Amino acid sequence: MPRGFRCPRYARAPTLRTPKQFSVTIMKRRSFLKLISAVGSGLIGLALGVPVVAAFLSPVFRKRRAEAWVALGEAEFFDWDVPIRVDIPQTVQDVWVESRILRSVWLYTQDGEEFTVYNGRCTHLACQYAWDEETDVTFHPESDVFHCPCHHAIFRVTGEVIRGPAPRPLDTLEWKVEGGILYALYVDFRPGISDKVPV
Amino acid sequence: MKRVRDWLDVRLGASALYKGVLDRDMPDRLTWWHTLGSATFTTFVLLVVTGIVIATYYSASPVHAYDSVWYLQNEVLGGALIRGMHHWSASAMVVLLIAHMIRVFTWGAYKYPREANWWVGVLLFIVVMGFSFTGYLLPWDQKAYWATQVGIGIAGTTPVIGDVAATVLRGGPELGAGTLARFYAFHTLWLPGALGLLVLVHMSLVVRHGIAPEARALEAGAPKSTSHPEYPAYYDQAYAASKSGRKKFWPDIIAKDIVVSVVVVALIMALALRFGAGLEPPANPSDASYVPTPEWYFLPLYQLLTLVPGSLESLVAVGVPTALILALLALPLVDRRSKRSIWRRPLAAGALVFVLAGSGYLIGTATRARTFEAPEQVGPPIPASARTGAALYRANGCSDCHSIAGEGGNEGPELTDIGMRHTVGWLHSFIEDPARFHEDSDMPSFGLPQLTHQEVEELSLYLETLRGDALPSEQPEFFDTFPPIGR
Repeated sequence: MPRGFRCPRYARAPTLRTPKQFSVTIMKRRSFLKLISAVGSGLIGLALGVPVVAAFLSPVFRKRRAEAWVALGEAEFFDWDVPIRVDIPQTVQDVWVESRILRSVWLYTQDGEEFTVYNGRCTHLACQYAWDEETDVTFHPESDVFHCPCHHAIFRVTGEVIRGPAPRPLDTLEWKVEGGILYALYVDFRPGISDKVPV
Repeated sequence: MKRVRDWLDVRLGASALYKGVLDRDMPDRLTWWHTLGSATFTTFVLLVVTGIVIATYYSASPVHAYDSVWYLQNEVLGGALIRGMHHWSASAMVVLLIAHMIRVFTWGAYKYPREANWWVGVLLFIVVMGFSFTGYLLPWDQKAYWATQVGIGIAGTTPVIGDVAATVLRGGPELGAGTLARFYAFHTLWLPGALGLLVLVHMSLVVRHGIAPEARALEAGAPKSTSHPEYPAYYDQAYAASKSGRKKFWPDIIAKDIVVSVVVVALIMALALRFGAGLEPPANPSDASYVPTPEWYFLPLYQLLTLVPGSLESLVAVGVPTALILALLALPLVDRRSKRSIWRRPLAAGALVFVLAGSGYLIGTATRARTFEAPEQVGPPIPASARTGAALYRANGCSDCHSIAGEGGNEGPELTDIGMRHTVGWLHSFIEDPARFHEDSDMPSFGLPQLTHQEVEELSLYLETLRGDALPSEQPEFFDTFPPIGR
């Protein structure tokens, strides 16, 4: 195609020989251009789509919070034969917001050497349960039981379910005594299921 | 199948849309320069989508804004890339928008019948500058805070309305929470709405008038002025003659647009991956030494201000941009000669060269006058409560006796890596009553009434962040010993 300045193209008649040739060449060119367009927009979509979807799904891939040994107090000062509730105030990082939360555990010992430490959340739906020394005629005829106020799950001091909706015994935590201090490895477990699965 | 298609088409009108928008004849000779407008639109799409992701991880409050951006940058999968793409798309948009404007100017495409679309384009330019100004503040880092302080300061020097303008921009007497919230609302709600609407009008007008052909096609035999009564008839005939039916909007023109957009996106991705978007230390309103840098496209104005005497500063700061905008708006009304090619419009060519060379010169001198330092790499942000603790540390003269990283007295123990040795709880108890731990301790008690329980906790949380040279992965080894109970 000559590209001259003397005679602008728009003033000239089309140079293609017959209408048929014209349309065949143009149609081939157009399907090629459509392919280019599809591939091009696909590439742009991919470049934009991958990081966007990754960022939205990012919470799924985040690591669990590291487990931490928490000091509960001096081992020899805990009362024997009666469960004791210990509150653990913790500073936690909730995405970019730092906040203080209160967790709690129940611990039980018969000799000040061997301990049982329960996560303070009920295994049914994670409410905070409490120790009832006396019979509570409305909810349980037994004395010395753990009673969850939300849906009245009742547990023995050994953690077994006596009755109520709880799907598994109370969740025990690992513990250790070092330098006279009792520590527990605080972990939350998924409520509402029969297996003890860390959150 | 065909029946379903026809049924849908009657309801949706897709084929009418296809005929009216995509399957139209275009002028035969459109250049690669004609793709700049659509490339600008591509950056707009990128900015909207990445902006939505950023908004998903953003908190528009001075307490949390920086931490949330830090979180996106460092903790979110692909977060750094998303921020980089948003940052570089913004720069690319300004470049492409200005290039598109220059293309329209040199082709004389703002003349009959596209005058109104030129105005819409100028409004789009203003809205994009608004995006740039409001977006700059949102990360709430040093650069954000101080550049906005200066920007609002400039607005405040406007004669007569300056005070009101600055107060409205700040949303109060001071740059702070109110400013951030209102900038966020503008950046994510008002401005996108305005931009979307204007883009829609801009594009509808392109459909209405078609793409402007090369200047020559509309010059031969034209009446001298576009306001000549015979010009519309001449134009219609000449424009129709520029189309032989070989080029359709789809796919001929759009394919070219997409090819250029792919190149633009590839460039943005490369810059985002290589350089990302910077994040300086958190905004510190009490830092008097910080010299803010404006975004590069504000540099000409910034540099111009350093060249004029102080008394003229407010006049230049507000007057030059206003005059430029007014000149652009007036252009299609003033310039009604039918000559379109820049080669046959010496005055227009001169004006363009003057503005471009002037801006280039000012950017050049501004860049040379300042050393652009790479933004300081910062570690994890100190939690908000610990930041208060750091202030308490200074306010209570702790550094009179204790030293951190060589700063402070040496009466008491060094605290550089105290966080590696003691827990928050121990530090709290100790600060409240040191004598309980060591009977002969020289440290006075900072419990009530000196500091509240809350303040002691904040101070302890601050001390816990002091880790000396320890790597983030290193676990502290605590030496907490408590005095016997009952004392």
